[in-house]
Amino acid sequence: MIRASELVVHRGEQRVLNGVSFSAQGGEVTCILGPNGAGKSTLLSALAGLLPISSGAVSVGDVELASLSHRARARKVAFVPQRTGLRSSLHVQTVVSHGRYAHSGGLGRPGPADLEAIEEAMKETDVIGLRERRFDQLSTGERRRVLIARALATRAEVLLLDEPAAALDVRYTLELHALMRRLADSGRCVVVVLHELDAARTLAEHAVLLSGGKPVATGPSSEVVSAEHIRNVYGVELVEEGALGFRLGDLR
Amino acid sequence: MAHLVLLGALVLICALSLLVGPGDLGDADLRQTFLSLRAARVAGAILAGGALATAGAMVQGLFRNPLASPSILGTTAGASFGGQVVMLAHSSLASTGLLAWVAPEMLLPIGCMAGAFFSLAVLLAFVRRGADLLSLLLIGFALTSLLLALGSFLTTLAQEQYELGRAVVAFTLGGLGGIGWAHVRLAIPLIGAAVVAGWLWGRPLDLLLAGETEAASLGVDVRSARRWTIAWVGVLTAAAVAIGGNIAFVGLVVPHALRPFVGSEHRRLIPASFLGGATFLSACDLLARLMPTRVEAPLGVVTGLVGAPLFLLLLVRMRAEATS
Repeated sequence: MIRASELVVHRGEQRVLNGVSFSAQGGEVTCILGPNGAGKSTLLSALAGLLPISSGAVSVGDVELASLSHRARARKVAFVPQRTGLRSSLHVQTVVSHGRYAHSGGLGRPGPADLEAIEEAMKETDVIGLRERRFDQLSTGERRRVLIARALATRAEVLLLDEPAAALDVRYTLELHALMRRLADSGRCVVVVLHELDAARTLAEHAVLLSGGKPVATGPSSEVVSAEHIRNVYGVELVEEGALGFRLGDLR
Repeated sequence: MAHLVLLGALVLICALSLLVGPGDLGDADLRQTFLSLRAARVAGAILAGGALATAGAMVQGLFRNPLASPSILGTTAGASFGGQVVMLAHSSLASTGLLAWVAPEMLLPIGCMAGAFFSLAVLLAFVRRGADLLSLLLIGFALTSLLLALGSFLTTLAQEQYELGRAVVAFTLGGLGGIGWAHVRLAIPLIGAAVVAGWLWGRPLDLLLAGETEAASLGVDVRSARRWTIAWVGVLTAAAVAIGGNIAFVGLVVPHALRPFVGSEHRRLIPASFLGGATFLSACDLLARLMPTRVEAPLGVVTGLVGAPLFLLLLVRMRAEATS
């Protein structure tokens, strides 16, 4: 379980997060919603311990994240960025093995536990068949799956994903949602930044709706994504069953 | 496999370097002397070339830019400037006996180290203030310009004395002509320690290929990795400049050329770069010795003549791969 308490974060002079408190449980998907500039990605980075916090705290279980070393923090919380800076010719298996860095000691040679975690992460994300491929030659959707595999290889109990479906077609998007569902069902605490409000309802048990760096609503996603909140935050009217719906077909 | 090929090439070049050159090895009285002089020169080429290429691989990893090199941090210019200062100081103070406590062959390495660490100290001061990688590149550029300008001024001052002027110009142009075993003995522990340290930092450097935020999310202490990488690059560069003066293109070309064969993983790339840099500089030095010119061609000129077209070729190939 991950908890943010009265989190205040500045970027330069600007106060981007203004006292955010919420918690996300293991075995559930919690999504962070909000319009552009609401502070969603900043919140996710702060939860990952990647940004200096002006006040407040982030804790995983009973442990405050700020008290941990870099490696110990990475063993608790895994982060999947929206875009990776990796443009390298490294093979997929090598990229996934980077998730084990926080566990390595001495000369950093992978042990049996590392190899098992890497294998399992690749299986869970269905990238086993890509293991010998170069990362820079993969499609956007394949790269996202490899980055999730890298995060899973950390065996962290909390998984943070920043808009994992951005720029993906409908099939990849649904496959990613199904993957997040499986990960939560396996006991992990999945926190995901989403733009798609309909996906928030179908995918996540809980939601946090941010506006201006503050939570406007937190709770079950069906209650957070309500006509009143959407009108207040986005300035648009919610049309129930107004959008096209899709699901993964039986043929793959 | 690539490492073995590089090792084989290095052994071949070393053997050729020992056997070929001015001086008759058939003369039994002088054979030992010739071989010792040539061996010291070959050892210098291996150490300087290996050090520069290793530093290049580390800097390219740290800056996530295959076109980066140690010289962009200002370290090469700093080491070169330090060496020039010591040469002028030694000339001015020789008669006073003030520098008598230091062995003459130690002076140049000490000067290069001092110069390299001066420029690194400036750079690290900015790292401590939270400068990002782009800022560091710009600071390196400014430092290089400043130190090269100061170095040019010292070269001008040195022209007042004929011998000193020649020595400073030769040092600036790069060369292994004056290297002895004392230099080699001094450089081996420094370069050896720095190459091993570079190899040990290989995994964090791999993770940094994805960017600092992603590396940090995976548990890398980014500031520490950046600081130590820069420090070891400084040691490697200073030692290389102390041995061979200003030598261009080795740190830039060698890791770049090897990446398609050994991959981007630093624990493979760093040993390969050491072997590749050692082979490249030994071959360039052999070429400098064999060029049909009245005086030996400066090594820095030869590495530039070979390295620049090679670099352009690699760039063209990289662009072709990117568009295919």
